Amino acid sequence: MLIEQCVYANRWRAVTPAAKGLLALGALVAAFIVASRPAVGLLLAVLVATVPVVGAGVRAGHYARIAWPPLSFLLIGGLSMLVAVDLQQGSINLHLQSQHEVFVVVARSCGALAALLLLVTTTPLTDLIALLRRMKTPELLLDIMVLCYRVLFVFSESVHDMQTAQAARLGYADARRSLHSLGSLAANLLAQVWQRSRGLHQAALARNNDGPLRFLAPTFAQAGRHTAFAAIAALALVAASLWLRSGV
Amino acid sequence: MRDMLLEMARVSFAYPDGSAGLRDCSLAIRRGSRNALIGANGSGKTTLFLHTNGLLRPSQGELRYAGQAVNYSRHGLRDLRSKVGLVFQNPDRQLFSASVREDVSFGPLNQGLSEQEAAHRVDAALNAVGMEGLAHKPVQNLSFGQKKRVCIAGVLAMAPELLVLDEPMAGLDPAMQTELLAVLERLHASGMTILLATHDIEFAYRWADDIHLMKDGACVTSFPSAELANHADILAAARLSLPPVIALQQVLTASGALPELPPIRSSEDLLAHLEQPVAKRSSAHGR
Repeated sequence: MLIEQCVYANRWRAVTPAAKGLLALGALVAAFIVASRPAVGLLLAVLVATVPVVGAGVRAGHYARIAWPPLSFLLIGGLSMLVAVDLQQGSINLHLQSQHEVFVVVARSCGALAALLLLVTTTPLTDLIALLRRMKTPELLLDIMVLCYRVLFVFSESVHDMQTAQAARLGYADARRSLHSLGSLAANLLAQVWQRSRGLHQAALARNNDGPLRFLAPTFAQAGRHTAFAAIAALALVAASLWLRSGV
Repeated sequence: MRDMLLEMARVSFAYPDGSAGLRDCSLAIRRGSRNALIGANGSGKTTLFLHTNGLLRPSQGELRYAGQAVNYSRHGLRDLRSKVGLVFQNPDRQLFSASVREDVSFGPLNQGLSEQEAAHRVDAALNAVGMEGLAHKPVQNLSFGQKKRVCIAGVLAMAPELLVLDEPMAGLDPAMQTELLAVLERLHASGMTILLATHDIEFAYRWADDIHLMKDGACVTSFPSAELANHADILAAARLSLPPVIALQQVLTASGALPELPPIRSSEDLLAHLEQPVAKRSSAHGR
């Protein structure tokens, strides 16, 4: 939900997702190119990470909280590649010979993460789906994305309400009760999912739907200018990363 | 002859589990009228509404739209659903997209309208329900009342002739109810026929032209709202009571505080009559 807050509150909310997508793509390609020099790769990741914060006005605290889970996963993954634990001998060995490869992987992943977060923290999913629709993504996939995204909120509200109702009647008073409550919550939710899916189908029929879910694509002012600007920035990033790599 | 828009002739419907949804139900909706469908929970109101839009098909009996029997072919249903707009009770059941504007565009695009025409309809519908300022808001950040209005806009954008609303006032606070009522009044003034389900007999008496009563899946009776006082016994059988304003008018008329007047439909109107100077009251007319 933190991501939701960011995407609707940032300064780039009205910028066409095509421009933001292009910039993110440029950053992604640059991250792959430049990662052979891990220090430069990490620098690029930091630079790309500052774009949504400085450019789009995403709050730094929010950004850090969004980035933390994947980043910590990445760092733990990197460490586990560096360190080998031998249980039989009870020793921990450092794979120093593969140190460079690990740094390359970590730098590349950090760069890719920053590029994706650039898009994710500034673009509402509805805009992204509209962009994917324009890019001729199969309708079935888009329908699933639209419905999943919508029911995510419906069910998170349901879960919250059920949990509150259970807690109000001491459903989480001890570990045994908690487990029981959680089980009945899951069972209840399953029944609700079934009912809701039928309800949504009926609602779709009531509004004359007989095929893919069709919606009006959002329009963006100055889309051409923003896209051109993003394309230039993306190309500059890629060119700079090529130049930096050749400087090894 | 009255111009009937939707007619149900002895319609029965049973759910697959065997429970009866509708039993020999006959009902007629006049073009341009405001209709309130009253009945207790489980009396079959929602089942009846699902029939109006062709989502359910009668096991027996017939549904007629503008004098023609409803054709349940793909094309026929498309036609019916373009003319009868159904607003569900729970907005979360109806809203598909997480964006207000996108969701409202769903119906018009399904009707096969061009993007330009659909965009025009969406703007007009959002305007009609006073939601034009929130067109780009995510649905999950809207209040219950706002979601309800988006649902109505989603149906209005399909330009239906008959608007069917399942308990539209449920869950709304008094201020939101007043706003919604104003929206419905504007729609009715523009010529739209409205059918809504409600538990609130006082509201039905005040607002509707015709009242339809349901009990245990049967359409018990239909009558003009002004004649509600004559149906006290049928209401009592459905465990409903007359609005207090009827008894008040009767007592005040008997005591001479009010002259003989046509039925006064709300406490506000009654108060307005009482506040008029005595000489004017006899010449005044109730709504």
